[in-house]
Amino acid sequence: MSRGTPRVSTRARKVAAAAAVGGTALAAAGVLGVLRRTGRLRAGRAVAAPGRVREGRELAAPGRRTGRLRVERGIAALGLAARGGARYASSAPRLFAAAGEQREQLRNDLALQTAEDVTATLGTMKGVLMKLGQMASYVNDGLSPAARRTLSRLQDSVPPMSPALAAQVVTEELGLPPERAFATWDPEPIAAASIGQVHRAITHDGRAVAVKVQYPGIAETIEADLGNAALLRRMLKISVPSQDVDGLLAELRERVTEELDYRKEARNQQMFADYYRGHPTIVVPEIIGELSTRRVVTSELAEGARFAELAGWSQAERDLAAETIYRFVFRSLYEAHAFNGDPHPGNYLFHGGGRVTFLDFGLVKYFTAEEMRPLAAMVKHLCLDNDPEAFRRSMEEAGFLVKDAPLPTETIVEHMAVFYDTVRVRGPVTMTGDYASAVTRRFFDFHSPLAAYAAIPRSYVILQRINLGLFALLGDLSATADWRRIAEEIWPFFQGPPSTPMGEAEATWKSGRRLPSPA
Amino acid sequence: MSAGPYADAAGLVERSAAAYAAAVPDRPEDDGYFGPASVTWRVSGDLSAPVAGLRSLLMQALHPLAMAGVDQHSDWRRDPVGRLAATSAYTATVTYGDRAGADRAAQRVRAIHERVRGVDGVTGLPYAAGDPALLLWVHAALVDSALAAVDLFGTPIGEADADRYVAEMAVAATLLGVPQDMVPATVAALGRYITDTRPELRCTPAAAESMSYLLDPPGLDEEIADLWQDIRDAAVAALPGWAREMYGYPAPPTLTPLTAARRTEIRQTLGVLDAVFLAEPGVLEARQRLTVRMRG
Repeated sequence: MSRGTPRVSTRARKVAAAAAVGGTALAAAGVLGVLRRTGRLRAGRAVAAPGRVREGRELAAPGRRTGRLRVERGIAALGLAARGGARYASSAPRLFAAAGEQREQLRNDLALQTAEDVTATLGTMKGVLMKLGQMASYVNDGLSPAARRTLSRLQDSVPPMSPALAAQVVTEELGLPPERAFATWDPEPIAAASIGQVHRAITHDGRAVAVKVQYPGIAETIEADLGNAALLRRMLKISVPSQDVDGLLAELRERVTEELDYRKEARNQQMFADYYRGHPTIVVPEIIGELSTRRVVTSELAEGARFAELAGWSQAERDLAAETIYRFVFRSLYEAHAFNGDPHPGNYLFHGGGRVTFLDFGLVKYFTAEEMRPLAAMVKHLCLDNDPEAFRRSMEEAGFLVKDAPLPTETIVEHMAVFYDTVRVRGPVTMTGDYASAVTRRFFDFHSPLAAYAAIPRSYVILQRINLGLFALLGDLSATADWRRIAEEIWPFFQGPPSTPMGEAEATWKSGRRLPSPA
Repeated sequence: MSAGPYADAAGLVERSAAAYAAAVPDRPEDDGYFGPASVTWRVSGDLSAPVAGLRSLLMQALHPLAMAGVDQHSDWRRDPVGRLAATSAYTATVTYGDRAGADRAAQRVRAIHERVRGVDGVTGLPYAAGDPALLLWVHAALVDSALAAVDLFGTPIGEADADRYVAEMAVAATLLGVPQDMVPATVAALGRYITDTRPELRCTPAAAESMSYLLDPPGLDEEIADLWQDIRDAAVAALPGWAREMYGYPAPPTLTPLTAARRTEIRQTLGVLDAVFLAEPGVLEARQRLTVRMRG
């Protein structure tokens, strides 16, 4: 699961927190029927989620006055404004050196030396299982303990490529050996990455870059193994007793196949980089197109604090970081109709003042307007219009709920509301681990009356990560914000005024930028 | 004849894995009887090893006296999984252990064999587990099965290395007391030996019973049981036709003929099984110890 960066917090990924803005509730609906309850969820916390949230609300005020919060944020925002959209101030050699200092410990004594070594290590389903393990983190809680152990152990079992093998791939892809394709090339990888590894380099025009190099032959191997649908179905059925294993399988297969072609990732990342260029707090490293191919992707090298280091930062800083991540996810979803499906702690670098660098765009899902409409409608009907019947119809339209299920609408709303709790009313709310647990418990409640009538349509499968990944981060940060007001800024059916200093800075950015056309 | 019921096979993977992990030494005194450059290490570490193991048991059981020794003396019925794990542990120790470790393990087995004597109820013949003739059959079945499994479902090793493998493995037989000059040292000699021994082979009730247990062991985890069906089919398909006929097994229809696609599917199943094995405590580390030594 270490995608280019050390794994930081397992717990953060496992414990889901509050779903806030549309789309997330779908997860609730579908997974109910899909995933088997496991022993993972801590038992004995019977406190209902809504109660928790209200408690959180009350706690937020005495702990940190909203007024003071605004002031601190105001100061931070001044800093932002002063820096404007300035990118990395540091020089390339310094970034290069810093990346070396943060080098991951890799087992070089086990390094894969030939393409045959790669096949022996990752062929015959192992690469596929590993990818499924990474991507199926949203079905993690449905996996048997043995399956979970197997998948996580597989990730430990993959050694890096030898410097010579990595150089061979770069040579095949770029037409030049790495020490000529780049002005400076570090032959030792700085990190393991998804089906590859990351090297640091400096380009001939003096930019410090991260070069992700794919294991040779891995794409062919994984594609061949993905063809064994019978075996995959058998395995998934065992681990995830589901009404719709085929749908899940098809979606996973599509995502895995996409991720094998780094050009796709480069396009995704460049799209996000273009979209957020000049943004006051969101930083997406630029892709170096001429040094990116199917098996090599080169992007600006970024430096910053890791998620784990945030534990030592002030709560105000953590709140700002959380706000940026929140804005990034929902602005991307509602405006660019794009969702980066891998929101795990290793994919962020933190710079203070709310500035966050977003890494790794290997798993981006684009939604059509038709797919987005019911998601937005669900939020609108539940949180804005307070119209339960319309909410139910939107759920049905999206395919989360079968039509004419013999359930009273109030039961459905009662069940689903917890996922929208942070955005149903205005006011500061603290994301907590307890609330996260409550949401997760609800999420996996198979005894729920909804379970028999709920499903996750294939194209929305990936969105479950909002529940099971992203919001876990916010819970881990104990982040406080008026999520509802931030959501209002972003909701296409609301378009509220800036509600925080960051919102104001964002509004300035928005008014000044030239919008690239959405995907 | 003891005819008690068989205990179930729960823990088959876990206990085999533990045996394997413990048998791969941390700091060996020497490279043992084979070593990192040997064909034996390559064949033993091949993905096809589970098929080889199961086929080998199917072959070994066809010798009535070998089967009687197991059936009448060992814990086979009471603790089949423990018995299989002990065999895995022994094989792995001889393969990967240093010489002193392999010698000690062989000494222990020879001591046990001393006590295993009796009369086979089917043939009426007396037997002794230390009898070189029986030990040689057990050895030959294992070597032949490893070659068949690698060839059909593994990474084929070529004729020269197959001969080397047979020659390298001879020491495993001598460690248990088979005189060196009895042990086949080429693929051709191995084939001749097996052909010559065929008249002594038959499927006794004990063999039929044991093997139908092994082909469909009760009590496996659902995950493993599912994979095991493919392993079983592969092992049965890898048997010589005459051995399959003795058991009365039909050739698995999905594997006749063995198409490239079906071979790939079996390999994929083996890969999943291997991933499960790898996740057991200590197995990855044991593999890594071996890999480091093989990279030299």
